Amino acid sequence: MSAAVAKQARTIALIGNPNSGKSTLFNLLTGLRQKTGNFPGITVDIKRGRFSLPSGREVELIDLPGAYSLYPTATDEKIVTALLTNPADPHYPDAVIYVADVTHLEKHLLLLTQLLDLHLPLLMALNMADAAKDIGLKVNTTKLSEKLGIPVVLISSRTGENISKLLSELEKLLEEKKEQPASFYSLDEREKSVSEAVRLNVGADDPYRALLLAHHHSWLPSLTEQARQTIAAIVSEKQFNSLKHQVDETLSRYDQFTPIVRQTVQHPPRFPSTTTDHLDTILTNQWIGPLVFLLVMLLIFEAVYEWSSIPMDFIEASFSQLSSLLKDYLPEHWTTDLLTDGVLAGLGGILMFVPQIAILFFLITFLEEVGYMARVVFLFDQFMRQFGMNGRSIVSLISGGACAVPAIMSCRTIGNWKERLITILVTPFITCSARIPVYIVLIGLVVPDQRVLGIFSLQSLAFTCMYILGVIAALGTGYFLKKVLHTRESSYLALELPVYRMPHWRNLWLTVWEKIFAFIWEAGRVILVVSVILWALASFGPGSSLKETETRVRAMASARGLTPAQTEDLVAAQKLEASYAGHLGKAFEPFMRPLGYDWKISIAIFTSFAAREVFTGTLAILYQLGSAERDISDPAENEAKATLRQRMREEKFADTGQPVYTLATALSLLVFYAFALQCMSTLAVVRRETGSWKWPLLQFIFMALLAYLSAWGVYNLFV
Amino acid sequence: MVRRYRTVENLKSRECARTLRIEDPVLASRLTAMGVLPGSLIEMVRCTPFGHTYYVKADGIRLALRREEAQSILVEA
Repeated sequence: MSAAVAKQARTIALIGNPNSGKSTLFNLLTGLRQKTGNFPGITVDIKRGRFSLPSGREVELIDLPGAYSLYPTATDEKIVTALLTNPADPHYPDAVIYVADVTHLEKHLLLLTQLLDLHLPLLMALNMADAAKDIGLKVNTTKLSEKLGIPVVLISSRTGENISKLLSELEKLLEEKKEQPASFYSLDEREKSVSEAVRLNVGADDPYRALLLAHHHSWLPSLTEQARQTIAAIVSEKQFNSLKHQVDETLSRYDQFTPIVRQTVQHPPRFPSTTTDHLDTILTNQWIGPLVFLLVMLLIFEAVYEWSSIPMDFIEASFSQLSSLLKDYLPEHWTTDLLTDGVLAGLGGILMFVPQIAILFFLITFLEEVGYMARVVFLFDQFMRQFGMNGRSIVSLISGGACAVPAIMSCRTIGNWKERLITILVTPFITCSARIPVYIVLIGLVVPDQRVLGIFSLQSLAFTCMYILGVIAALGTGYFLKKVLHTRESSYLALELPVYRMPHWRNLWLTVWEKIFAFIWEAGRVILVVSVILWALASFGPGSSLKETETRVRAMASARGLTPAQTEDLVAAQKLEASYAGHLGKAFEPFMRPLGYDWKISIAIFTSFAAREVFTGTLAILYQLGSAERDISDPAENEAKATLRQRMREEKFADTGQPVYTLATALSLLVFYAFALQCMSTLAVVRRETGSWKWPLLQFIFMALLAYLSAWGVYNLFV
Repeated sequence: MVRRYRTVENLKSRECARTLRIEDPVLASRLTAMGVLPGSLIEMVRCTPFGHTYYVKADGIRLALRREEAQSILVEA
């Protein structure tokens, strides 16, 4: 979309408290015509979408994070204040739809009255008309509209009730030029003098906006350094105590609008809704609650494995078929190899994880939409704080079980900088879907396929241990970082626990789609690029060494009378050894030998830097199982895995003749993969979310050292 | 000395009291914005296993509070 087109469409902002049903309304209005974009200055994405007004005119709608007031505490809440204090911002709205929950109107009017004082064209959507009807609540919208001086429409974003009326009111609002209504809140003496001084020295079009600049000058991204210093001087000269004035202003606003609510809303005799209370006696019970949570987690991960295997097999098979089809029809040339072994293999590697990620995010989003996740935050806040995080971190850590990239992006809801940073830094320790293929092969290699006590499979038990190891590493690192990092910023929970309600399916699907898109786009493009680079490193070698190797091996193979398939496998293995990747692997071997790895494993570790799952594929080529390679990363193809394992058991060190894959080596590899940050996409996302290369680099070095030392320790313990 | 006030932390399960004020200024700004005001009726619903997080209801809204946050909200004795 070009800038000129964007300018023509008027911008409408959706603003409201958390749990006002704002996002449901956004999804209802824009459907799939929405996209997420980064908001300049703050690393928070805002959602933008388009829709048509009754006249056919297109407008742009932006969905701002839920906020309780213009005095924000969390990173994502700050965006509302940042945008509304900067009329020069290209996203600055031409009009605002304020969404409020009619069943809790007295709690939702504070922010509205603040917006009134910014003199923005404003329209109130009184949401949850359906819930109001259910509990017998009546509201006089005409009188409310009169008292507030803005149009008010009673809607339901869940049933779609009155949406067309809302849109025609919006159109009227955009067309007519109304005179500016009087301010809702009158500034007190000190506020007036601060506001005047800010307007004189920095410039702001109205008194309340100037006052907000005085409150938030320390962090607002739109202010120049000079303006910041000027305002700081005014604030200290006038002895303006920001926090005290915030509270006084808030209370004064309540005093003004509480009578309005009393006159316009007729509450039922008492709140009949107690389903939430009944559920909470169990779900937030101090003993049963955590047990229910563990059970829910077990069911979720069970479901992820059960449901994802069929679509994963399908994607796997489709890509390998497409690849062999292309190989058959395209001329034998390096560009064909680039397309099939570089690009297609990379794409397949990305898309293969989509089913697992989709299912896990579907379930997490479901729990979030029904309101359960807020209870989990309540139950585990204290526990997580011991490890330098807070209750909200738990949602990110669980998401890390699918993919660290969207999980790290979800840390934006964590208000405290230190807790947010720690959560971002430790999330990659959680066992993500890319580690699973590696674990399956290695565990199968050293753990016998037996059952203890007739129920527990030893291999599943080992698998569970790897998950627990990831969690321990995450929490342990969190504890360490808590001691090392210092911040003066205090941390708050003060979280609203919403009423349990049925999820809104459209919201659910759109959120899941958003997470998958984040994975495909943010993680996928990095994996794809690195996969092509790795293909090049593995396909080319210094000088003409690869050609020579091929001729030599073919001659040797025909002399030995190998079958065509065996020949191809041998050629592939020898070529990889002679390639740049092979040279790198050999160069790395001295470093990796103390951990029990030969040069082949070193190549596999090197190639899996982009994405961990590449490990099994690389080993398959090295062990001359190239023709079976495509099946090995597929969890269902046990036969192919068994072949790889068989081949791994036979592998010996070239110099000493000792077997490579002893119990010690396999355990050492497992630990290495559990701890090392072999994921370029994660590094890229951490850089974006923390705003510099400092944290991702430290994170990478820390995790690499931890992986190396632990793998070394484990190897020497068992060797 | 007779205590003139208590904090939310002192409330027993299912006990209600009216809030007087919130001591921590940042918390005060946040909680008032969420609708917990002086004079709001606060009910202690339950706490987590080791007593560090509280589930309260303030004028019908359900809130999760940390111990320090609960200690910062003064209520009528």
